[in-house]
Amino acid sequence: MNILVCIKQVPDMESKFKISSDGQWYEQSDLTFKINEYDEYAIEEAVRLKEKLGSAEVVALSIGPERTKEAIRKALAIGADKGVHIHDDESHKKDSFQIATIIASYAKDKNFDIIFLGMQSQDRASAQVGPILSELLGYNCITTIVSFEYQDGKVNVKRELEGGIKAKVSAKLPVVLTCQLGLNTVRYPTLPNIMKAKKKELITINVNELLNEQPRVINLKAYIPEKKKGGIILEGKSDEVADKLISILKEKTQVLR
Amino acid sequence: MFVDYYKIDDLLADEDKLLRDSLRKFLEDNIKPLIKQAWHKQEKLDFRTIAKQFGELGILGSFIEEKYNCPGATYTTYGIVCQEVERIDSALRSFVAVNTGLVMYPIWRYGSENQKMKFLPKLASGEKIGCYGLTEPDAGSDPSSMKTTAKKIKDKWVLNGSKMWITEAEIADVAIVWAKDADDGKVKGFIVEKGTPGFYQKDLEELGSMRAGGVGELAFTDCAIPLENRLPNIEGLKGPFSCLNMARYGISWGAIGASMDCFETALSYSLDRKQFGEPIASYQLVQEKLANMITEITKAQLVSLRLSQLLNENKATPAQISLAKRNNVRTARFCAHTAREILGANGISLDYSPIRHMANIESVYTYEGTDDMHTLIIGRDITGIEAFRKK
Ligand SMILES: Cc1cc2nc3c(=O)[nH]c(=O)nc-3n(C[C@H](O)[C@H](O)[C@H](O)COP(=O)(O)OP(=O)(O)OC[C@H]3O[C@@H](n4cnc5c(N)ncnc54)[C@H](O)[C@@H]3O)c2cc1C
Repeated sequence: MNILVCIKQVPDMESKFKISSDGQWYEQSDLTFKINEYDEYAIEEAVRLKEKLGSAEVVALSIGPERTKEAIRKALAIGADKGVHIHDDESHKKDSFQIATIIASYAKDKNFDIIFLGMQSQDRASAQVGPILSELLGYNCITTIVSFEYQDGKVNVKRELEGGIKAKVSAKLPVVLTCQLGLNTVRYPTLPNIMKAKKKELITINVNELLNEQPRVINLKAYIPEKKKGGIILEGKSDEVADKLISILKEKTQVLR
Repeated sequence: MFVDYYKIDDLLADEDKLLRDSLRKFLEDNIKPLIKQAWHKQEKLDFRTIAKQFGELGILGSFIEEKYNCPGATYTTYGIVCQEVERIDSALRSFVAVNTGLVMYPIWRYGSENQKMKFLPKLASGEKIGCYGLTEPDAGSDPSSMKTTAKKIKDKWVLNGSKMWITEAEIADVAIVWAKDADDGKVKGFIVEKGTPGFYQKDLEELGSMRAGGVGELAFTDCAIPLENRLPNIEGLKGPFSCLNMARYGISWGAIGASMDCFETALSYSLDRKQFGEPIASYQLVQEKLANMITEITKAQLVSLRLSQLLNENKATPAQISLAKRNNVRTARFCAHTAREILGANGISLDYSPIRHMANIESVYTYEGTDDMHTLIIGRDITGIEAFRKK
């Protein structure tokens, strides 16, 4: 079986973000980058499937500048077999359609059976790359999976829906799957596997070889929203305050129903 | 957040950064939550389990080659491992540095092929735990005065004597023991296994430092071990000293880890804590303390990183290692008490790490060569005159 995992390197979300000088995105220098959280679940699930099947190849693909190789190395250390770095210093300016197009032009003649992606990226959060990719390749697509099983040419997964509901879904191969929190717990890359990853194949392709499309969605401006005013202060007798609090929790959250 | 004022990360190999992040996450998820109680109650961490977890992560004997089931990484990697574990607690780094530098290293350097195949893979996987017996009740800084003896009687080496202040004394399955040959007076190294008749192992209680780990004594009464348990390829004090180099080097990185944790704790506390209407971080006296800490940490990082390169190229001298151990442990001692100070009364609570690091670092300041000893080693190196002993 051929498995592709698409990963993105995103800033550590605990960083202090500054808006870039062109005003369209955040400033990238001085940030620490790591693998997009949802993509880590994708890698882990792909590697688990490979380990279960015994014979499968997992290719980890990432688009971005030179530093992106660090993310691919981590995927290799978790257990992917081969890395593909699509070199693009301007990847942050590409829209979901362009990113999906790049992946599709790499994947189109490679006969991948399953493509795992994160549900969304933590920095752009459009959640569109997986679905667009499946359309471009003519694959089935299931999003936000929280459990996964492969059997006889079919995948059986659970999806997480709003309001605490889950759905069981199944689809035939080839299929694109986007992974949600809760799918698995990602292993800690071990030193011996990190050392082995160093010797695994990691090829680099220039993005211009794979993309010939203009963006369809343009980011006009990135900005840091004004701070919201402090929370609500409840005043009065304690029993009244408690009642008010209960009604707020019922109305605005799912803590109480 | 990383304490990396000089972008030293850019000088690290990708695999070292990857290991650091992976190990840091493992330790924060699994070990950090246990430390406070272990230290407070002096109930040692479960090193049986930790050894296996560390074995799985592949961080024991990190610079030894794959043939012995070790990762075959660099000395820099070993340094990063020490840094990360001591960022949590010095007892964890003691465990790693003793097993890697003081137990696996001498077997690897001075052992027979049989000894290597027998012990290294199991020490690497954490299936077995080691300890290192050099210090004695009456022989600390001056190991040449050791009293433990080994006498060859027929097909056995028979050991008599005792060792004191031994990390992991009680739990160890394998002890590397240095003793004087009763016949020729030369110091020789032996591998003593748990359960050997006449071999006694006991941890000490009621310590004010390293309370999350084991430290104890070993005693030998007519303890007979097979001839093949002697490390064949070493004789004299350079044996124990060369092992100490490996552990001292690891300590130089470990001390950075403890310093980083103290700095991070003090910085975030000083930004949150308000007195006289403002965060205490806004006052010049506090800023000076923080600036001094980050300055010392940055220097320590550069010293250890450069030293790791020298080791990787097989060019490091013992005196260079002494400089790093001495400087970086001083840095950790300074950062621990400065952080403690910035935290005010909270600084004496075990809810925050500095007081624990502060107490632990007192051990680190003394073991593996006291600060004074390293001063004298550097002094001898630069002047050519030995000042350890009066004629
Ligand atoms: C927690 C812990 C774990 C340890 N683990 C191990 C272990 O696993 N294996 C092991 O073998 N040992 C271990 N040790 C022992 C450690 O290495 C010794 O404590 C250390 O070498 C110092 O010896 P000492 O305590 O006898 O002090 P001493 O040698 O008695 O020194 C006392 C003081 O005198 C100073 N001094 C001594 N001689 C001179 C001199 N010539 N000039 C100037 N000053 C001098 C010293 O610097 C020190 O300040 C451990 C110690 C501790 C605290």
